Amino acid sequence: MNSPYLSVRNLCVSFPAISGGFRAIDDISFDLARGEILALVGESGSGKSMTSLSIMKLLPAVAQMSGRIEIEGQDISAFGRRQMEDVRGARIGMIFQEPMTSLNPVLTIARQMTEGLVRHNGVSMREALATASTWLEDVGIPEPARVLAQYPHQLSGGMRQRIMIAAALALRPGILIADEPTTALDVTVQSQVLDLLVDLKARSGSGILLITHDIGVVAETADRVAVMRGGRILEIGTVDEVLRSPKHDYTKALLASHLTVDKGLKQRAFELEEARP
Amino acid sequence: MLFLISKRVLVAFATVLVVIVLSGLLIHVVPGDPVTAMMAQSVSATPEVMAEMRARLGLDLPVWQQVMLYLTHVLQGDLGTTIRGNEPVLRLLMQRVPNTFALAVSGLGLALAIGIPLGFLAAVNRGRMVDTVVMFIAVLGVSIPAFWLGLIMIQVFALKLHWLPVAGSNWRNILLPALTLGLTYCALVARMTRSALVDVLEEDYIRTARAKGLREHEVLLVHALRPALISIVTVVGLVFAYLLGGQVIVENVFSWNGIGRLAVQAMLERDYPMIQGFIVVFATSVVIVSMLIDILYSFLDPRMRQK
Amino acid sequence: MSISTEISLRRRGLPLGVLLGLGLAIFIIAAALLSNYLAPFDPTRMAAGPRLAAPSSAHWFGTDEFGRDLFSRVLVGGRLSLGIGIFAVVSGLVIGGLMGLIAAFSGRAVEAVLLRLIDVLYSFPDTLIALALVAFLGPGIENATLAIAISLVPFYARVTYGLAAAERAKPYIEAARLAGIRTGRLVRVHVMPNIGQSLIVMGTLGFSSAILSAAGLSFLGLGVQPPSPEWGAILASGRNYINKAPWILIFPGVAICVTVLSFNLIGDSLRDLVDPRRKGRP
Repeated sequence: MNSPYLSVRNLCVSFPAISGGFRAIDDISFDLARGEILALVGESGSGKSMTSLSIMKLLPAVAQMSGRIEIEGQDISAFGRRQMEDVRGARIGMIFQEPMTSLNPVLTIARQMTEGLVRHNGVSMREALATASTWLEDVGIPEPARVLAQYPHQLSGGMRQRIMIAAALALRPGILIADEPTTALDVTVQSQVLDLLVDLKARSGSGILLITHDIGVVAETADRVAVMRGGRILEIGTVDEVLRSPKHDYTKALLASHLTVDKGLKQRAFELEEARP
Repeated sequence: MLFLISKRVLVAFATVLVVIVLSGLLIHVVPGDPVTAMMAQSVSATPEVMAEMRARLGLDLPVWQQVMLYLTHVLQGDLGTTIRGNEPVLRLLMQRVPNTFALAVSGLGLALAIGIPLGFLAAVNRGRMVDTVVMFIAVLGVSIPAFWLGLIMIQVFALKLHWLPVAGSNWRNILLPALTLGLTYCALVARMTRSALVDVLEEDYIRTARAKGLREHEVLLVHALRPALISIVTVVGLVFAYLLGGQVIVENVFSWNGIGRLAVQAMLERDYPMIQGFIVVFATSVVIVSMLIDILYSFLDPRMRQK
Repeated sequence: MSISTEISLRRRGLPLGVLLGLGLAIFIIAAALLSNYLAPFDPTRMAAGPRLAAPSSAHWFGTDEFGRDLFSRVLVGGRLSLGIGIFAVVSGLVIGGLMGLIAAFSGRAVEAVLLRLIDVLYSFPDTLIALALVAFLGPGIENATLAIAISLVPFYARVTYGLAAAERAKPYIEAARLAGIRTGRLVRVHVMPNIGQSLIVMGTLGFSSAILSAAGLSFLGLGVQPPSPEWGAILASGRNYINKAPWILIFPGVAICVTVLSFNLIGDSLRDLVDPRRKGRP
C-alpha cells in the first residue's frame, strides 16, 4: 500500500469580502497515492475546481485558505511564493479544461514545452527539446519536430490537450491534477484523451486527481471517487463502492441522471430501428 | 499575406482621397470671399491678381467642380502656391517634413520608453498603491496641455538652469521638445499598456504558465508582456496621430522648424493653399504610419502570419 | 476568476477618483459661475495694479504686463472655458449622436458610407480638426466654439454608433421590431434611454478635450481674442515674460490642468462603471 503522495486535511477556502463570507470549500479531506486515479465529481459550483487551485495555491489573493496540504509528508500549506514555484510543475502538475486558451498564442509549442524542463531540471535547450520530442510521440502526436515549431492556433483542440498533458508529465510530477480535461473536446476525442491519461499514468507512475462533472468518465477511468457538493465531500471510496452502492441521495441522483440519458438513447435507437420498413 | 497588405494600401489610399476632398471643401467654409481674406495683407492685391487667383483655385466654378479640380491637382503633386511668396506649397512642406518626423519619432520613442514600463508596473501591482499612484499620474499627464508643459520646460531648463538652448531645429535642440511630447503622451501609453496587460493577465495561459512553476518574472516578462506588447502595437498608430497633432502647437512653442510651425503661421496669415496643403501632408503621414504599423502587427502576431 | 474581480471593486467602495473629480469640478463650476462676483477687479482693466507684479495679498495671482489682475482674469477665463466646453460638447453630442444613430439604424449602404467617413475623421486628433476649421472660419470665440463642436462630432458619432449597434443586436429590440414598432419610435423610446448613461460619461470626457482644444486655439491666437482672458490666451501673452513674471505662466496653466483633470477623473470612473466590457474590472 503506497503512502499517499498528496494528503489534504480539513481544507477550507473562504472569501471573507463577499457579504456574509462565502465558504467555497468547507472542511474537506482526502488522500491521493502515486499510480492511482482519484476522481473528484460534482456539479459546477461544487468547489471541485477550486480544490485543485487551492492545492496549487493559485487562488486569487482575496481567498483565505486553511487546513493542511502535504506532499510526500511535507506540509506545503505555509509555503511562500518561491517555494510554491518549486512545487508547481515539478511535484504537482496541472492541466486545464480549455486547451484553446490555455496555451500562449504568441509562443511556439517548443518554447512552451521546454520552459518547464529548463526551469526545473536545469537542462540545456537541446536536451529539453529532445525530451519534449519524445514525449510528443508518447502522447501520439506524429511529426513532433514539425509540431514543435508551430503555434497553438495551428493545431486542433485534441492535439493541444495532448501537448498540455505531455508538457505537464515531462516534468515527472508525483501527481497530475486534470481539471475537466475532456469537457471542451469533441466526444470522439474525449475517450482518446482519457485512454491516454490512463496509459500514461501506468507508465509514469504519477497519480491523477481527475476533476469532472461527468460520472460516466468516472466509471470508465477512475480507481477512487469523491463526490462533492456545496464545498463538501459527501462520500469517498473506490469506484465500485460508491457507484454500486451509493450512500448519499445526491450520489444516487447523479447516477440516475446519467443512466437516464443512457437509457433514453438506447430507447430512441430501438424506436428508430423499428420505424424502418 | 499579400492580399492583406494590398487591402491595407487600398484603404489608406481611400482615406487620403477623402481627406483631400474635405480639404478642398474647406475653402468654402470661409465667410465671405476667400481670396479677399487671403490677400487682405498683401501689397500686390490688385483686382486682376485676385481674379486670377480665384480662377486658379476654381472658386468661380460650382463646388463639386472646384473640389474635383483641387483633387486632380493634388494627385498630380501640385498643392498650390503660397500667398506669401508664391512658392509651391509642396516644396515648402517637404523641406520641413524631416524635422517634424525627427521630432515626432523622438517624442514617440520617449513616450513608449517611459509609458510602457509605467503601465507594466501598474498592471502587475493592480489594486495596490503603486497602481493607484501611477494611474493618477497618468490621468494628470493626460490633463496637461503639451504646449504648457513645453513652456514650463523652457522656463526651467533653458532659462533658469541654462542647461539647454531654447530655439533652433538641430540635434542639440531636439531634447527639450521631444521630452515635452514624450512626457505628455507617455500618460496615454501607460494607460493603454496597463489595460492591455490587465487583459492578458486574466487569460488562461498565464494560469498555465504559473501552474508549471515558472518564476513569476518569467511569467510576467515572457508570457504576459509579449502578447500585451503586440496588442499595444495596434494602438501606437493612434498615439502617433495624437502626438503629431499636439506637435503642431509644440513646434510653435519651441520654434521648431517643422510643418506644424509652418501651418500655424499660414493659419495666422490666412494662407489657405498652404493650410490645405498641410492638411493633406499631415493626413498622408498619419495614414502611411498607421498602415505600416498595421502591417508590422501582422508580422508580429503569429496568428496573423499565415494566410 | 469572476469572484476576485467582484470583490476588488467592492472593496474600493466608490472610487476615490469620482470623489476627487466631483469635488474639484463643483468647486471650479461654482467659481466660474460666480466669477463676476468673486473677481476683485475687472479682468480687462489695465493698471489695476503695478505691471508684472508678483502675487501678493492685493493681487493673489499677481498682475500681467498691462497691470491687469491675474486672479480676476483666470476666474473669468474659467467661465469662458466652461461656456465653450458646454456648448461644444452639447452641440457635438447632438450632431454626432444623430449621425451615429442614423448610421446604426439606416440601411446597409448608408451605414457603410457613413461609418467609413466617421472612421476617417476619428483617426485624426480633434484639436487639429478644430484648428483647421478655425483657420478657415476665422478667429474669434464663436468660430472657435463652432470648430471645437465639429471636431467632437466624429468622436461622438463613433461612440454612439458603437453603443447603438450593440443595442441593436439585443433581443428586446428584435422583439419590438417584430411587434411592428417603427424605427423612429424604436430609437427614441427604447434605444436612447439605454445608451443615455454611457453618452453622459462620454460627455464628460469630450468636455476635457474641448477645454484643451480651446486653450490651444487661443494660445495660438486663433481662438478667443484678446483682451478676453481665456486661459490659453493669457498663456500666449505671458510667454514673452516667462523670466520676469513666471506667475502669468503658472496660474492659468494650473487652472487648465485642474479643470481638465477633474472632468477626466469623473469621466474615467464613470466609464469603468458603465462600460459593459470593463464592468467589474478595476
